[in-house]
Amino acid sequence: MDHHHHKSQYRGDKGRPSKKPKFSSKDEYRGKFVEDDDAYYNEDTEDDYRDGEGEEKKRDFSKLELKPDHPNRPLWACADGRIFLETFSPLYKQAYDFLIAIAEPVCRPESMHEYNLTPHSLYAAVSVGLETETIISVLNKLSKTKLPREMIDFIHASTANYGKVKLVLKKNRYLVESPFPEVLKRLLQDEVISKARIATENSHGSDGFTISKAAGEIATGHDGLLNEAELAAAAEEKETHSFEIDPSQVENVKQRCLPNALNYPMLEEYDFRNDNVNPDLNMELKPHAQPRPYQEKSLSKMFGNGRARSGIIVLPCGAGKSLVGVSAACRIKKSCLCLATNAVSVDQWAFQFKLWSTIQDDHICRFTSDSKERFRGNAGVVVTTYNMVAFGGKRSEESEKIIEEIRNREWGLLLMDEVHVVPAHMFRKVISLTKSHCKLGLTATLVREDERITDLNFLIGPKLYEANWLDLVKGGFIANVQCAEVWCPMTKEFFAEYLKKENSKKKQALYVMNPNKFRACEFLIRFHEQQRGDKIIVFADNLFALTEYAMKLRKPMIYGATSHVERTKILQAFKCSREVNTIFLSKVGDNSIDIPEANVIIQISSHAGSRRQEAQRLGRILRAKGKLEDRMAGGKEEYNAFFYSLVSTDTQEMFYSTKRQQFLIDQGYSFKVITSLPPPDTGADLSYHRLDEQLALLSKVLSAGDDAVGLEQLEEDADDIALHKARRMAGSMSAMSGAHGMVYMEYSTGKKHGQGMNKSKPKDPSKRHYLFKRRYG
Amino acid sequence: MPQVKIIAKNFMDMVASLTARDLDRLYENPFICEAIVRSLPPLAKKYVLQMLYIDGSVPAKMMEEWVLPDGFTKHRVAIDRLVQLRIFSEEKKKEITYRLNSTFQTNLRKHLIYGGALPREPMPPGITARLPSLEELEAYALGQWECFLLQLISSAQAEKPTNFSSSMMKIFQRGLLTQRDKEAPRLTESGFQFLLMDTNAQLWYIVREYISNSQERGVNQADLISFLLELSFHVAGEAYNINTVNDLQRSMIKDFADLGLVKLQQGRKESWFIPTKLATNLSVSLTDSSGRKEGFVVVETNFRMYAYSTSKLHTEILRLFSRVEYQLPNLIVGAITKESLYNAFENGITSEQIISFLQQNAHPRVAEKIPSVPENVCDQIRLWESDLNRVEMTPGYYYDEFPSRDVFEAACDYARDRSGLLWEDSKKMRLVVKAEVHMHMREFLRGQNK
Repeated sequence: MDHHHHKSQYRGDKGRPSKKPKFSSKDEYRGKFVEDDDAYYNEDTEDDYRDGEGEEKKRDFSKLELKPDHPNRPLWACADGRIFLETFSPLYKQAYDFLIAIAEPVCRPESMHEYNLTPHSLYAAVSVGLETETIISVLNKLSKTKLPREMIDFIHASTANYGKVKLVLKKNRYLVESPFPEVLKRLLQDEVISKARIATENSHGSDGFTISKAAGEIATGHDGLLNEAELAAAAEEKETHSFEIDPSQVENVKQRCLPNALNYPMLEEYDFRNDNVNPDLNMELKPHAQPRPYQEKSLSKMFGNGRARSGIIVLPCGAGKSLVGVSAACRIKKSCLCLATNAVSVDQWAFQFKLWSTIQDDHICRFTSDSKERFRGNAGVVVTTYNMVAFGGKRSEESEKIIEEIRNREWGLLLMDEVHVVPAHMFRKVISLTKSHCKLGLTATLVREDERITDLNFLIGPKLYEANWLDLVKGGFIANVQCAEVWCPMTKEFFAEYLKKENSKKKQALYVMNPNKFRACEFLIRFHEQQRGDKIIVFADNLFALTEYAMKLRKPMIYGATSHVERTKILQAFKCSREVNTIFLSKVGDNSIDIPEANVIIQISSHAGSRRQEAQRLGRILRAKGKLEDRMAGGKEEYNAFFYSLVSTDTQEMFYSTKRQQFLIDQGYSFKVITSLPPPDTGADLSYHRLDEQLALLSKVLSAGDDAVGLEQLEEDADDIALHKARRMAGSMSAMSGAHGMVYMEYSTGKKHGQGMNKSKPKDPSKRHYLFKRRYG
Repeated sequence: MPQVKIIAKNFMDMVASLTARDLDRLYENPFICEAIVRSLPPLAKKYVLQMLYIDGSVPAKMMEEWVLPDGFTKHRVAIDRLVQLRIFSEEKKKEITYRLNSTFQTNLRKHLIYGGALPREPMPPGITARLPSLEELEAYALGQWECFLLQLISSAQAEKPTNFSSSMMKIFQRGLLTQRDKEAPRLTESGFQFLLMDTNAQLWYIVREYISNSQERGVNQADLISFLLELSFHVAGEAYNINTVNDLQRSMIKDFADLGLVKLQQGRKESWFIPTKLATNLSVSLTDSSGRKEGFVVVETNFRMYAYSTSKLHTEILRLFSRVEYQLPNLIVGAITKESLYNAFENGITSEQIISFLQQNAHPRVAEKIPSVPENVCDQIRLWESDLNRVEMTPGYYYDEFPSRDVFEAACDYARDRSGLLWEDSKKMRLVVKAEVHMHMREFLRGQNK
């Protein structure tokens, strides 16, 4: 690019070379963005495979020796821990179950999966009962090449200590248990642990440890991969040694065992069948509650050896996490404390318990600021929020009583929903306040931008199971979503303001309020309401935009300040009324509000580069709808759910959107880019068609206070705070409260283009709607 | 195959382009006459045989009557070919007539009567050591060829250097690589297309370069062609004694070994060369040899690319537009990223070339799927490319400090009339004109100044 504008001075016709103002527009442009991005977004670890090319040399493993029958084996294993799995191998299913137990999935698209062996993933493997040698020998059997020495060493090193020590609550005594007496001896050399020890009378053996027999792991899922000898070894009863510790010292002992101290992380297991102290709770799964194969599998990981293991189960939204939670509670049959993120989802959990189990109504209660119920009898289920338990301020007398009961009770199961959103310090608090035998965390997306996932591993337990999204889609268990990124060019006027320095705090408002985006959104709502009879959720993080859009389009909206009663009312109308087919949600709707009716999402603004938010939002429409056979490949409703992300081109949003989609893309989703919406032949009937309307909108954005156009902050958003550390906007909540209740009233009145909506969903006979047709010949 | 701009005509075109003298010399060898006949289109073959014992010339009109009306195109092609190869000589007196080249005619007649044989026969099995099997030989040939290509596109990557002199190598690289000052050489657009062609087409391109530059090395083109033709009628996998070739041919044989056309072996006493399929296929026209190779690339919706290949060359090709991340014994793992594509675009590789490469080399696993390369990936590749075209560069000249508004406005009008006015700022009296207009503008302003 050497097209310098030579300065040729009038009169001076020598055409003298000027200072060559270089036109490196592209670089400047990028450079500017990078600056901003750093302020917003700091995520570069973890995704190690995407980093620079400097390390390329190290990843040449072409000298590994191929086994002669390599085509029959499904995977490659690299010295750096990366594993590649062919999904078309006949051994795929077995290999997948094995890999998901020992390794962390990196990406799982159609033909080839990638996994990483990490210390944490191996910790999880050991804790579900896989032993070092089993891991190595199965991996070796599946591998096309001889296993690299480095990998074998790594597995040995990582598993040497993991899983060697267990913390078991037996007959209300906390026991530290291990098949290796020398390990226990080493632990007891630690001052804290030796002080916490309670000497028992009936101990035998030279070290004073109690010796007992425990059933070995019944290997599930790896059939055919282990030979008989290995199976026999696994099933053989093992001698375990143990000593008892003081219940009040449990947290301290656990702390000492963490990798940063003695490095013998303790596995927690609950021998609930032999728990005679805590009263049983009479609840069974109802006959119609038939766990699906993957739900069954995740439960088998949890209850593999007849005890209940603590840990995390990862299932996509809509795949039936609640059934897994309720099933777990039904197996343990002890009191269960269920924690959710907000009041709406407390209601939903209580409903799920009643739906799937035979629990009596007076044995289950909700504890929220609005409803303070208590169960009858000596065992029951309490559903509440993290906030209610962790709340440090003054409570009402009634609440205080309930919370005392929660604290004093010994819970059989602590069931924690949406563990990815809860900040680590809140977990610590909740876990130290409540005494539980077993903790089960549920989530759809085990990614956090603040990298706190490892905390979860030690606070709750290892990941027990993670389902593969594409397999569930193929099996028809979750909806097959067509994802699209809609590129909306900024109008000239908005872009000019966007670029101005003095508007730096309004950037987001400007690209969200971009009239072209508004029109695209309006077009999509119209299209899906009228042509397909769909139910639509529009997401906006930016409250200013949320309000503007919802008011202009006359649709109901829910945001942080919307009361519980209002929320319920709007959601009810959305579910049942044919008049209400679109609702606007702020990020309160990201998690745990269950809206099974929705099948279209339009995202007009989002939270910087949060991969988790993107996945959670998609999750709102993952619940499979319609008949199974219609949803299978080639069926008439192969795609029956749509996820649109509207981005203004040439703005920060473009960059964020790439980041945001990464998680979903790694799960095998693909985003189709749509560049011309609304189509050129529509226009005048959509809003902001005329320039004067657009300019009026622009001046509205510009005249709004900086705090009014910022982001909504919710209490539960620790993750978001990490994302936005540098630029947190305060005061938006207060700015938005008050007069905005009127927005919610809007939906029942105006509905001009209501025709066609009273029909039952007219199904488009063609499999793909025209927006997704090929753009290139 | 993508539209190849490099003219990779076949071997016979090369022969046809020889001078009259060289061609006549070629036809002195009865064996070559047979080889040429074999290579002809069927109708041309028939005409040659039909005219073999006609000593005079045959009018074109008469020959036209030999064919049915719908076979006329084929007739034209055959005649053209024969004239090109100087097998037919055309005479235009009252009417157009054709006669057979007399050297060609005499030698072919002799060949028919007395039979012909190669200048050399395969060596009996007893003398040679164990010969490679045909599979081994093919693997060897492809290995050699790949090694040569690697050296061609990036000499640092080649495991063992070939015998080709660096000047010879430069000749091969001409048009395929460019070198900006001090930077490492980079593939040109046609270089990339070259890499995407099948082996026979690539080989032909190199052989053509080799032949057309033989003169500079003091080697007669006809000698070279005649030896290559001979070679192509040898039997692949058989051993031929090196003593049966002359010194000139011996040096050629060494070069051919580098290209994988022959394998050289040495026994205790004797040395011999073994022609490979690459050599015996050389005279077969390109269209006949397009046996579809099985694809090897899987592209996923997340822009990851998995290439089932052991080839270093493939690694290098993929590196042209993707980031190669892992190399395993039989798998190359890469990612198609914006950066890697921008790199490719900058080197003149187009999105369509990349997409068609990915589609044509799709692994059988995904090849039957429609589309074989995920739609979102193709779209994105195109979008990234079109993103680069959003800014248009127009070289221009900037003028300011006008003495008066009149002069400024006159200048604006002048430039506008020649549609060369790019930008004007009448407040500050500044303007930018297209570079083409600059000289006229200067003249114009000089005139104004007077």
